[in-house]
Amino acid sequence: MTDVSRRQVLVGAAGLAAVGGLTAACGSSSSSPGTAAASGPAGAPKRGGNFRLGVTGGGSKDIMDGQNIITKPDQARLVSAFETLLLFNENYQLTNNGLAESVTQDSPTQYTIRLRPGIEFQNGKTMTADDVIYSFQRIGTKANGLTGYAATATMDIAGMKKLDQNTVRLPLKSPDSTIPQTLGSYTFCVVPTGYQAYPHPQIGTGAYKLKSFTPGQQSVHERNPNYWRSGEPYFDTVTIIDFSDSTAQVNGLLGGQIDAMTDLPPSQVKVVQARGMAALISKTGGWLPICMAIDLPPFNDVRVRQAMRLLVDRPQMLLQVASGYGFVGNDLYAPFDPGYLAPPAVPQRHQDIAQAKSLLKAAGHTNFSVDLHTTNGAAGMVETATVFANQASAAGVKINVINDPNYYGNQYLKLPFSVDFWGTRAYLNQVQQGSLPNAPYNECHWPPKSGTGSNFGSLYNQALAETDPTKRIAIEHEMQRIEYDIGGYIIPFFGGLIDAYSSRVKGFKPSKGTLNLDSFGHGYRTIWFG
Amino acid sequence: MKRFRPGGVGWFIFRRLLLGIVVLILVSVLVFLATQALPGDPARAILGRTATPASLAALRRQLHLDQPVISQYWTWVTGLLHGNLGRSLAAQEPVSTLIGPRLVNSAVLVALAAVVSIPLSIAIGSWAAFRREKVFDVASSNLLLVLAALPEFVVGVLLVILLATTVSHVLPSISLVPPGSHPWDNWSALVLPTLTLVIAVAPYVARIMRASMIEVLESDYVEMARLKGLPERTVLVRHALPNALGPVFQVIALNLAYLAGGIIIVESVFQYTGIGLAIQESVVNHDLPVIQALTMLIAAVYVALNLLADVATIMVTPRLRTRL
Repeated sequence: MTDVSRRQVLVGAAGLAAVGGLTAACGSSSSSPGTAAASGPAGAPKRGGNFRLGVTGGGSKDIMDGQNIITKPDQARLVSAFETLLLFNENYQLTNNGLAESVTQDSPTQYTIRLRPGIEFQNGKTMTADDVIYSFQRIGTKANGLTGYAATATMDIAGMKKLDQNTVRLPLKSPDSTIPQTLGSYTFCVVPTGYQAYPHPQIGTGAYKLKSFTPGQQSVHERNPNYWRSGEPYFDTVTIIDFSDSTAQVNGLLGGQIDAMTDLPPSQVKVVQARGMAALISKTGGWLPICMAIDLPPFNDVRVRQAMRLLVDRPQMLLQVASGYGFVGNDLYAPFDPGYLAPPAVPQRHQDIAQAKSLLKAAGHTNFSVDLHTTNGAAGMVETATVFANQASAAGVKINVINDPNYYGNQYLKLPFSVDFWGTRAYLNQVQQGSLPNAPYNECHWPPKSGTGSNFGSLYNQALAETDPTKRIAIEHEMQRIEYDIGGYIIPFFGGLIDAYSSRVKGFKPSKGTLNLDSFGHGYRTIWFG
Repeated sequence: MKRFRPGGVGWFIFRRLLLGIVVLILVSVLVFLATQALPGDPARAILGRTATPASLAALRRQLHLDQPVISQYWTWVTGLLHGNLGRSLAAQEPVSTLIGPRLVNSAVLVALAAVVSIPLSIAIGSWAAFRREKVFDVASSNLLLVLAALPEFVVGVLLVILLATTVSHVLPSISLVPPGSHPWDNWSALVLPTLTLVIAVAPYVARIMRASMIEVLESDYVEMARLKGLPERTVLVRHALPNALGPVFQVIALNLAYLAGGIIIVESVFQYTGIGLAIQESVVNHDLPVIQALTMLIAAVYVALNLLADVATIMVTPRLRTRL
């Protein structure tokens, strides 16, 4: 060991270089990146190909579960293999095109679900009422920790009854007219009896069967030859690839390594279009509220809440945070619900600095200063806070934006002033998620415990029990008037989803739903390579 | 100059190894404390917004987050010594299974970058010194200065624009390594990341090589060799080059060690499935065992490369060897 000569060391180094040269030289054929240009006419759907989708937001905590998601790639995977009883179309209207032929409300507290007969799971087993009952039991078991659990509060799952092979009776503990919306949401997919999450077999009724899955990297899905909708799907395989960063995603799309991507940054829309790719701009009902806790100072004074709402320049916020992709909000949510209280039923709020100042003065605040908590969560949450702080400064109001990496930690839902994010929901479903004392994400601590608006909860129960749509909408309007007048949300705008795809992919339509890329091309079955 | 017991190079390496181990122990304490001090709750980071207090508490117990810091450290270090890197909090599988294939991928990338950049930069530096203040020297020095000033992500993005997306389409724009495959299965995907790393490292090495070579070329023994009438080629390759390499080994080692950490950015630009992406993701997820394992790994690479550089320097510099 002591006698290693310097010559030997040098020769060793040269040897290393030679080996390296060899490695670099071996293999000379390049798989040239497919130049995805030259889009032909859409024409009739064609079969074949491997559809490669790049998705951000995933990681090694990725899962596959027919009734649960943690990350965005999980959503992309779920819809490939699992389907719901009812189906939202691209206008966010419920249809009977799902696994159920019909869902009827027999009485305020009872629904009957009639399955489309003869649908087979990917292993050839026919879907029956038993599978539906198992699916509900799985969601309704609290220990399973599934996202859909909160929505089962009104369901009497233990009392579910199989009337025949294709018919299930779902009794309710209390009236709930939002059941159909719940049955259309992707966390309520039907799984076969005994189903468990990955690494157990992933057998659904969907168009693609899971072939391989490496969390944080990719999953491969192959065509289900027994799929129940005739003709569909068209791709041979679907590959869902995790990306850590949208720059690499855009490069992958432009270079032809992927065929579609989620969440194109608004600034890249023109770049992508200029290169012959398509941007899918969907005006969804997604929203980024600024939340004021109505029971915590200074927002326990309704004048302060109104002042904050008058400080927002909504069109400017839409332009600066979402590059104009979306539409202006009016502090009320669920814009696609038939019961949405749209202007002019309530006036559209505009920025009114003078009025805001006088309201603050009346409330006894001269140098108003407050902390606004936000985080790099959903895209735009930080920008919403900073733009608002900037707009508020016009009235001499000082908003200290606190960008907290641990925002969803112990303080979440206990903060007086914070930014959050929500997706598309029907009005009553959204109330149940975010605006009731027992709602899981009640940022504003809504409704008031006493005085005006304290009847909000009983109005909600009335609406749930009301089977006549016209009367129900009237109740929903009353609820929204209260929220408009004294609520804790500032809703500057409803954003959209911007995705991008190669022009060789046909069949994508803009959608109002929560999921990206037209609900991932309706589970990769309504899209094809042209 | 201190004298130690006889034993020469072997003894020297032994001492350096011991020192390296001490450094690694100190690093392990620092890494552990730093990850403990990270703001945020790993259980919360894993479960996200949908977490319930019960599921949080269960996860904390499962991850031993409820135990005192000292006992957490002890569990971790003893695990490390047994080759057990712990379990990834996010992936719920052993860290070694998670980072094993990624480690191979990253090592391939760094090794490729090294075998391309080292000979290349030594050649450029030597030739520039030999042709001092001639066209090649002036041109290469200026170009290298410009390249050295560009951060890797700029270089990476420029290369993508030039070769993969906008100007031409000759190479893939991203370098995915699908699970179960090897980076070399699709060598064209390796070109751009390697080139980016080469451009990041080569300028420094070439400039040091040039300076070192100039010094050597002006030395008495090179003049002596020339006066003896040796061919210029022999003078350069046999006499000047070995002596000029001494200081360059140190720079090469530093740059390789830098590569081991610097690939984080390059892997992110090219979406290359290596430890760089793993570090990035584990920081976002508060996946402490993965962060700790990868940091220790990179620290070990630093220590090992520095040791190698010192040994190599001594090998090529007889003067230093006699002083051991």
